[in-house]
Amino acid sequence: MARFAQKHTTKYDPKAANSYEHGYSFSTDKYSYITKPGIRREVVEEISHLKEEPEWMLELRLIAYDQFMAKVMPPWGADLSGINFDLIRYYLRPTDTQVKSWDEVPPEVKKTFDRLGIPEAERAVLAGVKAQYDSEVVYGSLKNVWAKDGVIFLSMDEGLKQYPDLVKEYFGKVIPSGDNKFSALNSAVWSGGSFVYVPKGVNVKMPLQTYFRINAEFAGQFERTLIIVDEGATVHYVEGCTAPNFSSYSLHSAVVEIFVKKGARCQYTTIQNWYKNIYNLVTKRAYVEEEGEMVWTDFNMGSKVTMKYPGFILAGKGAKGETLSMALAGAGQHQDTGSKAIHLAPHTSSTIVSKSISKDGGRTSYRGMVNVGPHAHDSKNTVICDALLLDSISRSDTYPVDRIFNSHVQIQHEATVSKIGDDQLFYLMSRGITEENARKMIVNGFVDDLIRKLPLEYAVEMNRLIEYEMEGSIG
Amino acid sequence: MLTVFEVHQEEKKVIKIEESGEYLVKLVGSGADVEITGSFRAIGKEKTDVTVIIHHQAPHTRANTTLRGVGEDQATVRFVGRIKIDEKCGDTNSFLTERILLLSDDAKAEAIPDLEILSDDVKCSHAASISRIPAEHLFYLMSRGLTQKAAEALIVEGFLAL
Repeated sequence: MARFAQKHTTKYDPKAANSYEHGYSFSTDKYSYITKPGIRREVVEEISHLKEEPEWMLELRLIAYDQFMAKVMPPWGADLSGINFDLIRYYLRPTDTQVKSWDEVPPEVKKTFDRLGIPEAERAVLAGVKAQYDSEVVYGSLKNVWAKDGVIFLSMDEGLKQYPDLVKEYFGKVIPSGDNKFSALNSAVWSGGSFVYVPKGVNVKMPLQTYFRINAEFAGQFERTLIIVDEGATVHYVEGCTAPNFSSYSLHSAVVEIFVKKGARCQYTTIQNWYKNIYNLVTKRAYVEEEGEMVWTDFNMGSKVTMKYPGFILAGKGAKGETLSMALAGAGQHQDTGSKAIHLAPHTSSTIVSKSISKDGGRTSYRGMVNVGPHAHDSKNTVICDALLLDSISRSDTYPVDRIFNSHVQIQHEATVSKIGDDQLFYLMSRGITEENARKMIVNGFVDDLIRKLPLEYAVEMNRLIEYEMEGSIG
Repeated sequence: MLTVFEVHQEEKKVIKIEESGEYLVKLVGSGADVEITGSFRAIGKEKTDVTVIIHHQAPHTRANTTLRGVGEDQATVRFVGRIKIDEKCGDTNSFLTERILLLSDDAKAEAIPDLEILSDDVKCSHAASISRIPAEHLFYLMSRGLTQKAAEALIVEGFLAL
């Protein structure tokens, strides 16, 4: 392996690091393996070769690479002109030793850790100082419980090695590589991510959490996640965490595919708090069969630009989909989020609830699509978008599309945009609450019904985080 | 074809949209107030396609937009509405409603209500709905001795009257 790899490896070059514009240029000289910046056919071949992948995966990557090169950048949505694909390194394999030191972590990130009360051991991982969280002792026993029921929870790379047939059957089936430019990029250069299989009738009671995963790459630039929930099974998968996820990458482009079989249920929770220099462009979609249920809970607080529209294809009779989305945009941020509901079968129902908060010149957009196909009679859809603007320089948009090809349906859409009312503030302040606390209280109340859907420890951290973000926001 | 309306300072205007096309309504002066309505009935293979852009360019403006459409046979009804509020346009109220009633299995509908808000002191909302005539409504009228056709006609008439 190393004999071939040698040809393309480079030593760390400080000059190249300086020209790494939108990245956070930490030294990357401790990586055991670095590809040259820029994407070429050879880079894709090399990644596949280094991972010792089966032939079909290499073919899939190469097709995806051609599609990526052929596709133009999306002409709609957020401003993506800051991305320079030639400056990005597409594959980094961290060494087992520490990559960065704690001193290099910016003070505001440390401060947030303090405020959220994150345990010391987790902090180091979250800040990217350690590649892995040493969770063997606490979570090792949990892993055994899952394994007894036949639940598979591995990194995508391990999943491909250990269960190649299962991966081949589902990989790229609900999000084909040609779906959009960034799904093509991810399919070409993916590494990391999770592979989850829950067998028939198994009810996984504890949420599966990415940072509990053992012996796996922590977070990747081009994560690829595949979740298969077999008939009658249930699972709750949690990705990310409330603490700022500190990363030296400048582009994060993940693909998440979920298969919900007959009568199964899957909840996928994302708490995205990337550092504020990152372009976060993610494609997520679930394929839901008869009587199945898919719930996306999607919280976006960090990143410079997020474009993410988790969707579900309700392909079986009586399937259900739900998206609960919350976005918070501060200075220089644009959260362009929403959801797609595709109804293909009769008696399907879906709900999309989106809450967004813009402050300090941030911009939030809801962009959604509801498509009811000709066979989806007696389907129901409700979309509710509420936006809160905290000052006069911020911006909020709503771009919904409803396409209905069957008339036996009930489709509703509602959206409101408002600010914190003077009368609301006056009421609270007349009860002796300071203006700052009154504002925090109103904002927390605004997002409360979504936060309640989170596991308890996340809900607590989320409330603290919102309070922290709100601090000093009195105009 | 784009039709442009301007509503000036302290002016009150009522705009009635009667045919498919693109309409741009600009509220250019402080205190401008506009009421926009449109009712459409598409039969046969007709395509009704209405785009209304309500652009608030001054503070203290108010707009209320209501579009209603009925789709019969193989008709298509498409409503695109956009409320745009520029920066420094405080104390603005704007509402947009799009309601579509489909009468046949082959009728199609598309509703796109957009909002673009750059000021904070605003009250702005939109609502859209697409549905059949509820069976209970028909049942009620038919139990009073109306034929199904007459009952439908009555409901459509009531739906389109603004």
